[in-house]
Amino acid sequence: MDIIVAKDVRKKFKLKHGQQVKNNGIVSNEIDALGGFDLNIKKGEFLVLVGPSGSGKSVFLDIVGGLSTPTSGVVYLDDKPVDAPSEKTGYVFQQYALFPWRTALSNIEFGLESRGVVKEERVKIARELLSLFGLSDFEDRYPYQLSGGMQQRVAIARALATKPEVLLMDEPFAALDAQTREILQNELIRIWEGTDTTVIFVTHSIDEAVFLADRVAVVTARPGKIKEIIEIDLPRPRHGDIRSCSAFAANRHKVWGALKAEVNKAQQDWKHAPVNSK
Amino acid sequence: MSLKFLQRFNVKDRLLGLIVPLFVLALWQGAVSQHLFSELLLVPPLTLWNTIIELFRSGDLISNIQVSLNRVFLGFLLGGSAGFILGVGMGLSPVINRALGPLVKVLQQVPELAWMPMIILLFGIDEFARIFFIAIGAFYPMIFNTYQGVSGVPEKYHELARVFDYKSFRYLSKVIIPSALPSIITGIRLSIGLSWMFLVGAELFGTESGVGFLMIMGRQMFQIDVVMAGLVVIGTLGLIINTLLKKFEQFVLRGRVSFDGGAA
Ligand SMILES: Nc1ncnc2c1ncn2[C@@H]1O[C@H](COP(=O)(O)OP(=O)(O)OP(=O)(O)O)[C@@H](O)[C@H]1O
Ligand SMILES: [Mg+2]
Repeated sequence: MDIIVAKDVRKKFKLKHGQQVKNNGIVSNEIDALGGFDLNIKKGEFLVLVGPSGSGKSVFLDIVGGLSTPTSGVVYLDDKPVDAPSEKTGYVFQQYALFPWRTALSNIEFGLESRGVVKEERVKIARELLSLFGLSDFEDRYPYQLSGGMQQRVAIARALATKPEVLLMDEPFAALDAQTREILQNELIRIWEGTDTTVIFVTHSIDEAVFLADRVAVVTARPGKIKEIIEIDLPRPRHGDIRSCSAFAANRHKVWGALKAEVNKAQQDWKHAPVNSK
Repeated sequence: MSLKFLQRFNVKDRLLGLIVPLFVLALWQGAVSQHLFSELLLVPPLTLWNTIIELFRSGDLISNIQVSLNRVFLGFLLGGSAGFILGVGMGLSPVINRALGPLVKVLQQVPELAWMPMIILLFGIDEFARIFFIAIGAFYPMIFNTYQGVSGVPEKYHELARVFDYKSFRYLSKVIIPSALPSIITGIRLSIGLSWMFLVGAELFGTESGVGFLMIMGRQMFQIDVVMAGLVVIGTLGLIINTLLKKFEQFVLRGRVSFDGGAA
């Protein structure tokens, strides 16, 4: 059963006065971020989006999350068109965006407060999540007292606290060093495999995509649409050492094969773009 | 961090800050007792001290300080809350900002004292006029800093608020205000500071109470010691208020990384 269905989603942005961009050779003052994005996501699946920079991945996530509305087309969540942020959706941003005035525990409580969950229950849920991420000793710490990896764990815990059916993750590990990143991937997959949450995860790392995903959807250079969807045929539960097996390399190869041409195309576009196109 | 902490309590540095004033006081006392100046014009420190004690004993000082503090408080409450409300509005809504911004900027150019004739015309010389005058002083730091803080709330916080369904009052009290708090508190500190500065100006016209009034009486009766006692009291109270506000700031903003103890 499909929990999310995106049908011919298009998104245009009006550029600021004086800015121009080339769309398929035609100079215009509008930018086509998404150009007919079709995607069905199964309930409980881990879907990873990869694609060149500027291909509209974040824009698509914002539309699924109800933070932005499409110019045309629809996204259905549980058969209902998304037009505002839904209780069923959780969001983890690239920057940690933890609140500096709240402790780790209280940051995790944030989403529960607006849903009217009582204090005792909030603290209980937040403590469970902290312990799930091995952060029980850090509940009273403020964000600046936590490492980047810890901060991102807290941000994920905050999104999980409201028990979302769909978790949107936009390059959540991009700012972390390579080792921390792998550790967090391992933790995320361990925790996710114990839930029935649907995840849409954006990354630029093919390794990350292959390690996490049930399916990897490759997005074309702008205007973004789905180019190809690759089933990752690695067994679950997955452990860190799966990264070095030959099946992993084969999947990696498939994804890169689909992505390569788009990355090159995007680079050509940037080269030919007018100087003030951004 | 720990080094800075130690330096703050460096005894040598502290002593230096005490030695110079003490030296000046000693010179001053010496000069007067050697009859280099008339005692009537430049009251020696010891006499000044006695005057202050005397004013305390008689209750004159206390009651006038109470009146002055009360005025500062009411003026700050009036001007500060107006500045806060408008600052939040301007910070959140580009429309309000465009509508009010230019007006506020023009009015800010009017020197404080230039308001006085206007206020007297509007309200007469009464208690409300004095409080209103202080309120004008309190208004600008508050509106300016609140606006800065609120308009500087990171885009990500707005998005988080939407994702987690924070609306209206809860959005304001749980996201906007906490995020803008460092600026808002700076606003409060500067605002109270300016209220205090303008207090004496407010007490220059037609009052019968307050520390400023005490000084004017002293001048009229040629009691230099009372005038100087007023200066000492105003300076000392201002310092105490500012120190308390900094402690308050440190307390409220504890745990925030960008906060360095309030150097501004
Ligand atoms: N608010 C906006 N106004 C104008 N243009 C925008 C806006 N948001 C996105 N764009 C444009 O839409 C295109 C897609 O942006 P998006 O952020 O979705 O890319 P992305 O695939 O997430 O890239 P990256 O991998 O670098 O994060 C880009 O060309 C971007 O400049
Ligand atoms: Mg992006």
